[in-house]
Amino acid sequence: MSILYDEGQQAIATESRRVLDARMAKDRLLKLLEQVGEHDATFWDTAVEQGWTALAVPEEHGGLGLGLVELGLVAQASGAATAGAPFLTPGYGVTHALVAAGNADLAAKYLPQIAAGEVRGAVAFAEGTDILPAAPATKFADGKLTGAKPAVPGAIKAELALVWASGANGPVLAIAELAGAERKPVSSFDNSRLYADLTFAGTPATVLAEGAAALDLAREVLARMAVVTAHEQVGGSEALLHIARDYAVMRKAFGQPIGAFQSVKHRIAEMYGLVEIARANCIHAAAVAGTDEFLVAAADARLTATEAYDTCARDCVQIHGGIGVTWEQGLHLHMRRARSLAIEQGNLLFWEDLLVEKLTGEAA
Amino acid sequence: MSEIETYRAKARAWLESVAPKYSRAARGKLNLTVEEDLALGRQYMAEKFDAGFAGINWPTEIGGQGLSNMHKIAYDSEEMQFGMPNVYFGISLGMPIPILIHYGQDRAWVKERVIKALRGEEIWCQLFSEPSGGSDLAALRTKAEPDGNGWRMTGQKIWTSWAQYCDYGVIVVRTDPTVEKHKGLTYFWVDMRAEGVEVRPIKLAGGDSHVNEVFFDAVRLEDSQRMGEVGGGFGVALHTLMIERYIATDSAGFGPHLDLFVDTARDLAINGKPALKDGRIRSAIARNHAMRAGLDSITKRAFAMMQAGMQPGPEGSLQKLVAVRSRQKLSEMALDLQGNQAFDFDPHAYVKEDWGTSWLNAPTGRIAGGSDEVLLNTIAEKVLGLPQDHRPDKGVPFNAIPA
Repeated sequence: MSILYDEGQQAIATESRRVLDARMAKDRLLKLLEQVGEHDATFWDTAVEQGWTALAVPEEHGGLGLGLVELGLVAQASGAATAGAPFLTPGYGVTHALVAAGNADLAAKYLPQIAAGEVRGAVAFAEGTDILPAAPATKFADGKLTGAKPAVPGAIKAELALVWASGANGPVLAIAELAGAERKPVSSFDNSRLYADLTFAGTPATVLAEGAAALDLAREVLARMAVVTAHEQVGGSEALLHIARDYAVMRKAFGQPIGAFQSVKHRIAEMYGLVEIARANCIHAAAVAGTDEFLVAAADARLTATEAYDTCARDCVQIHGGIGVTWEQGLHLHMRRARSLAIEQGNLLFWEDLLVEKLTGEAA
Repeated sequence: MSEIETYRAKARAWLESVAPKYSRAARGKLNLTVEEDLALGRQYMAEKFDAGFAGINWPTEIGGQGLSNMHKIAYDSEEMQFGMPNVYFGISLGMPIPILIHYGQDRAWVKERVIKALRGEEIWCQLFSEPSGGSDLAALRTKAEPDGNGWRMTGQKIWTSWAQYCDYGVIVVRTDPTVEKHKGLTYFWVDMRAEGVEVRPIKLAGGDSHVNEVFFDAVRLEDSQRMGEVGGGFGVALHTLMIERYIATDSAGFGPHLDLFVDTARDLAINGKPALKDGRIRSAIARNHAMRAGLDSITKRAFAMMQAGMQPGPEGSLQKLVAVRSRQKLSEMALDLQGNQAFDFDPHAYVKEDWGTSWLNAPTGRIAGGSDEVLLNTIAEKVLGLPQDHRPDKGVPFNAIPA
């Protein structure tokens, strides 16, 4: 696939940014920080109305049949706006697993509902500190799941979950309706991510893949979600770069704009470098999805995007001085989101190890 | 296959055919002096000219091939992989000659110079930096004063690459000290063999001497050697620096490939365990890979945009800044990792294949062609629209600036 966006893709980028600029409101997002279990209905309704939930769903199942490139562009716009709901990324993870596993019945059942925004997905892989544990404690047997998954993004409101568990013959990837699971909301620093501890006590589930195939698919799903998240991180970083630049031009100290001081302007120029390197990696990763290069490209994108968002959040606040740490000014929305996105889909430690394993053949 | 890819394949085939004679691998065994290597380089350039790979993106009427910038980048990126003896001609063909093509007054003479430069028979240097003006080029002090129908030039240049082997140079000098510093400069070409020109090589920290001090003692310049208007020299100099936007880049920062770091680490142990199992080493590999992949993707995208007739974005300006800085740190780490074994040092080892010379020569890369600080300023001001630094010499005649 080309690494230059075509007209349709550029239109998606511009339009998603325009719609979110018009509809997102900082006050609403700030309120959500103090409410456990609530997401921003305006954002989610917009996502459904604009067809973002249908973007990566195949046309035969009521979707638009597009892919990672287009979803990445929407994620970038969502990241810039610190969007108030997490469902697009795990929804895509569930979608890809259903399509890739080739289970026609389940795909026909769930994908039209995902495309229409009626069913929201969650991806429950992590246990303990591991994003993808080698031997998950959550068990699958006799068509049922038993065990616990901590702080799953989106799980407070999601209807469907893709679960990483241990079966009779090694790991399995299973799909389960969350009506049959217990969920306990987690009070977090970024509450609109809707984290919930999930407990499965004989929850009915269907296996999509098992053994080595399950591990391959789980990694592929995680990598695809990581690339969506990396786009979201780039969107957030770029927004912070612009906020920092605008403030440095406007704010004066010692008789000149603070942006004329090299300590400030170099900090902002470094932010630009990190954003552009991460963006280039994201574009490349989305373009090579489905090829042998993808896992490495996804890791590159994820590592640089995490570094970019973290650094931009840190430095943008610093450039603002006192006003940057106020509740009302709202830069902490990005600080919080930079942290939640750095952990969801696997932290830097995980992606560093995965990348080095792919490059050198040496596991951690 | 696209036209460019076909061309790339053709270039590669030719490069492979001459590699046994000229490549880094072939020359490495010969222990050549710089002069011997330069002589081989001149042969290579002549063969390259005869094979039709010289002046790829220059007009045919001046001796070029009349092809696109993409053809040139395709050739250069292939050529770079062979380590051909072309380093002596990079600046000559990169900046002075294109400027000569643009501004040179006597066209027949210009064409003769272009062809001799392409064939490696003549080399041109660029005389810009001075002891009192490096990053601040317009602060230069070398002066040319009217002398009959020409000029007489006195002063000193520094950091002039390959000047000791050069036949000609392009130079910016002050012709009017009574106006603002940018406005009193004029651009000339100069015969490096003329009376009053003295070249003294400077030995650099890494041990080699490819840069020089150049002294001018009342050197006569004809007015026909002037390029551009009197007082228009700064604009021509900026034009010079803009020409080489279409160059092949190297995300390794002109140091070793990351694979060499992996190979180095693979044979070593830390606390009795394989170095590749060590988290710090893994982190360094991963971060460098991700950063370099990003730079490579920026290059690929710029290339694709040019092929599509679009203007690449300003992110290409990050390459040298990011790549050389990280090469420096990675080289330090690669040496540290080897413990006492790292002390065994060969000052002549190739910087792209050796951590010692890569480390010791890395600072040059962070300073030459725009220091890190100047590049950050340029990005901040030109790309992001941040204000200029406070400049006390702004609007002040050059001869009234406090020294």
